[in-house]
Amino acid sequence: MNPPVSIFDRLWARHVIVADATGAGGEDLLFVDRNLVHEGGTFLAFDQMRGEGRQVLKPKQTLAVTDHYLPSTNRATAPGSIANAEIRRVVEALDHNAREFGIEHYGVHHPRQGIIHVIGPELGWTQPGLLITCCDSHTATHGALGALPIPIGQSNQLRHVLATQTIWQKKPKTMRISIEGTLPAQVSAKDVILSIIARIGIGGASGHAVEYAGSAIRALSMEGRMTLCNMSIEAGARIGMIAPDDTTYAYLHGRPFAPKDTDWDQALAYWRTLPSDADARFDRELSLNTSELAPMVSWGTSPEDSSPITGSVPDPASMADAEKRGRVQRALDYMKLAPGTPLAGINIDRVFIGSCTNARIEDLRAAAEVVKGRKAVIPAMVVPGSSAVKRQAESEGLDRIFLAAGFEWRDASCSMCGGSNGDTVAAGQRSASTTNRNFEGRQGPGALTHIMSPAMAAAAAVTGRLTDVRTL
Amino acid sequence: MQPFTTLTAIAAPLDIAKIDTGMIVPGRFQRLPRRPGHADYARVFLHDLRFDENEQPRAEFILNHAAYREAGILVTGPDFGCGSSREAAAYATLDSGVRALIGASFGDVYRGNCMQNGVLTIVLPAPVISGLMTQLKAAPGAAITVDLALQTVTAPDGSTHGFDIDATRKERLLKGLDDVGVTLQHLAQIETFEKQYRADMPWLASIL
Ligand code: SF4
Repeated sequence: MNPPVSIFDRLWARHVIVADATGAGGEDLLFVDRNLVHEGGTFLAFDQMRGEGRQVLKPKQTLAVTDHYLPSTNRATAPGSIANAEIRRVVEALDHNAREFGIEHYGVHHPRQGIIHVIGPELGWTQPGLLITCCDSHTATHGALGALPIPIGQSNQLRHVLATQTIWQKKPKTMRISIEGTLPAQVSAKDVILSIIARIGIGGASGHAVEYAGSAIRALSMEGRMTLCNMSIEAGARIGMIAPDDTTYAYLHGRPFAPKDTDWDQALAYWRTLPSDADARFDRELSLNTSELAPMVSWGTSPEDSSPITGSVPDPASMADAEKRGRVQRALDYMKLAPGTPLAGINIDRVFIGSCTNARIEDLRAAAEVVKGRKAVIPAMVVPGSSAVKRQAESEGLDRIFLAAGFEWRDASCSMCGGSNGDTVAAGQRSASTTNRNFEGRQGPGALTHIMSPAMAAAAAVTGRLTDVRTL
Repeated sequence: MQPFTTLTAIAAPLDIAKIDTGMIVPGRFQRLPRRPGHADYARVFLHDLRFDENEQPRAEFILNHAAYREAGILVTGPDFGCGSSREAAAYATLDSGVRALIGASFGDVYRGNCMQNGVLTIVLPAPVISGLMTQLKAAPGAAITVDLALQTVTAPDGSTHGFDIDATRKERLLKGLDDVGVTLQHLAQIETFEKQYRADMPWLASIL
């Protein structure tokens, strides 16, 4: 009998080409099934390859898409019409590099264009068992389908994957986060992951590959699972995974890159062998009780600075740890919040519903459900996660619900998540955002970001305040 | 990648804590193209510490002092290179002519990126670092010697300090092999692996 293993250990072992020779925590050489590239800083990798005269070893195993720098409006004549010359150059560079190196690229006008972590699963490019690299910190999103996701750098590491279709990696430890039970009403995957991060801290899972397990996780839709895995990095984990199951297979079936016919049957039989063995051992275990969970909002400048909406801004003076006290004080100064202020009721200036965390169809449905029949009282915008999500939402009439409520309905891109394309929150403005990071200046210099679920962001839009969506 | 064996160079004491990657390369330079063979990123290394709003060198900043113009080693404050994972920070370090950094701690990702680009980062205990700082401040332009094979740093006063380094990293730095170079030594193994992998999972062929 083989010893029981976790899905992570199983997939890692499946991809080792050259095992660490030091035998003491060195790096293994792993085979990369599929690689995703966005325009971000990746021109550096191509610049270097060009200089070295290198080719992409397996161009069909890499897919490129433009998302970070694309404008979210007036795209008919983009990229030529992008006013900022530097941004235009970055967008055009990927098109040029993809052509030169023979890689498929979904550019601004491609019907499959969208945020890299949204389109991978949506196209079935992401599949259980595959080792997927992407030059972005939120690569763990792909682990929601039972793939082994590895985030890589945008220059040297990407160059390595392109040139060799492999990656050197040190094997992380394993951690299982289990949540049993049923999620309370209006508690979404976003609230679950914010609760986890609030509990263990922003570095709480550093050095670990996390598997999310338990009946509450099993009950999540694929969209919810992606939201959960997406923010693993905010807990410090570069890898987050959920074992594939019937929800995964139903989601994948018929998607453009999913196997077909007898290929599908063979793949499915393999996928069913992947989940962790019942008595698999993990280096760390954490379990959460669903009854503790409530809709969450962040109040500080790190995702760990999050509390249930029923709570208040904490008082640094009451914190025993001096370092934490100082950090929280700085966060509150930046966020212009006084200790003890009830979270519900804090005035908000604008709302952003979008990003690779929460701009899939289910997210837009959840937001539209809250918005329906109401009016936004502050500027609010929806930026679908992909062009396909946008079409789907329009076919369901969600766009009309948002537009009737006074929201802007824009084109798929990262947009106000990081502001690379120029969509930013003005200095001193307070935003309710469905994104993953509330770091200082993340949405623009001086922007005050509160992160939350789509339903909670929608509730903030129609009241102009942080609002417990359950009370609407 | 240029091998790293031994280096004797002027060392500058950069006695500032938590210089993050955003200070090493401010965000606005992240879209700068980098042509192989050109030190395109030298200009932006620690840009806002080195230059004022009018692009004039800040006279008070240590690296602008004449004694340190040719510094090839930096002795750094704690957490040098913390913050975002931008690889441009490592490029800028290398392009500026720095081949070794010595400090009590470094940002993890930055450290990996430096090693990958042939820049050695050395961690020594905080008291040793402050000793080095004192010596370098007392004798501006003094040199430090780094011997990677022996894993030693020799201070201006002749004292020698051993340091730890991951065996794999050491090997690659000594031979000047970057990751691609190392991997291509395993090409036959990669091909054998892939053949078997494809045979085991024929359905994956649909995209190949
Ligand atoms: S949506 Fe935000 S977090 Fe996601 S890939 Fe884009 S910039 Fe990164």
